[in-house]
Amino acid sequence: MGGCGNRAIVMRFFRFFLSGLWLCAFTAHASLPDYQVFPAAGQRLLLWVASERGRTTAELAAAQQLAKQGVAVWSLDPANAYFLPQVSSSMDALPVQDLAAWLRAAQASGKQVTVFAVARAAVPVLRAAVLLEPDRRSQLCVVLMHPNLYTTAEPLAEPDYLDLGDLSGLRVRVLQPRRSAATPWLPGLMEHLARHGAIVSDVVLENLREGYWARETPTDFETAESRHMDSMLLHQLDTWGCK
Amino acid sequence: MQVKRIATVLAIGLFWVVAAKAAGFEARVASPAPELKAHDLTGASKTLTDYRGKVVVLNFWATWCPPCQREMPSLERLRMQMKGRPLEIVAVSSAETPEEVNAYLAKMKLGFPILLDTDSSNTRRWKVFALPTTFVLDTEGQVRHVLTGPTEWDQGEALAVVESVMSSSPPLAR
Repeated sequence: MGGCGNRAIVMRFFRFFLSGLWLCAFTAHASLPDYQVFPAAGQRLLLWVASERGRTTAELAAAQQLAKQGVAVWSLDPANAYFLPQVSSSMDALPVQDLAAWLRAAQASGKQVTVFAVARAAVPVLRAAVLLEPDRRSQLCVVLMHPNLYTTAEPLAEPDYLDLGDLSGLRVRVLQPRRSAATPWLPGLMEHLARHGAIVSDVVLENLREGYWARETPTDFETAESRHMDSMLLHQLDTWGCK
Repeated sequence: MQVKRIATVLAIGLFWVVAAKAAGFEARVASPAPELKAHDLTGASKTLTDYRGKVVVLNFWATWCPPCQREMPSLERLRMQMKGRPLEIVAVSSAETPEEVNAYLAKMKLGFPILLDTDSSNTRRWKVFALPTTFVLDTEGQVRHVLTGPTEWDQGEALAVVESVMSSSPPLAR
């Protein structure tokens, strides 16, 4: 009776231990973020990661236009997907394992995958790229729109950038609107990315401000350009030649 | 009556503390300012030594920057208010062409000097990462306060900061 009771306790403990182990394994496993799909039959897939301020109607319209032109788009609004406040620090708190799984799922589609990330959303995208296997990473193209990679940027002091990890083989193109306080610091940013192993290039977008497609008081030119984000991105993909 | 007066004083004190935090002025241990080498709109070369003996409000801005535009009228009002006193307001247009600045000045009349930093070398030397960023320098050219973001320069904490730097650094004897 006593022995049976002991065995029952041991069995219960073992069952509890196994359940715990299973639960740990399940929660540690990355899951895909919630994203919106704009299907297209072409060979290109654009992963559009909105900024910390959320996805705008102009971005959705551009995604639809791209799909009509044969470029499939997976649109992710990270702050919304993870119920995070729309501030920069939220982007640093995203589960990069999930994003890495998302990148792998995109690559498994067999299409040529380009990630387009805006502002601070560049941080989780680059960190997810670090988690990829080197051959997968070297097949990925990343376009960053005015990325913010600072840890601190205080007047009269040298800027301090985030340590991103090993980006070797990753092709990164930075799009920097000319009318931005970040433009004078673009060379330093590019050096930082290159130091982490990325293969970098940049394009300055003339007469535009950061987030020009979501400005409260846009100029006429910005309004026109925000209607043509799809063709601007297509142009970048075509001229860059990242394949 | 006495209690009411104390409460009023406390409320005003609290208001100033909150206002000071909102403006975000950062006091600095007096340290030599970086070099300023720019041209004004007539093409004349300017450095900080041109303003020697004066407190300098050095404002980095751009015509495309809405917060910069918002604070410009208050900088002009500050200039008028301080007329005859040893204060110079100097606005450095960051990474813009003379044409862009002149187009803005055609709409907004400003009485203080505007300097051009077309190649953004001053912006980089002063480590300006956001616009507007303003430095308040004493008469010896030392940085005393820094503000990132806009404010109303002719009132509240901003005016108090300017006045405090003026009172603590008398004009240099020439």
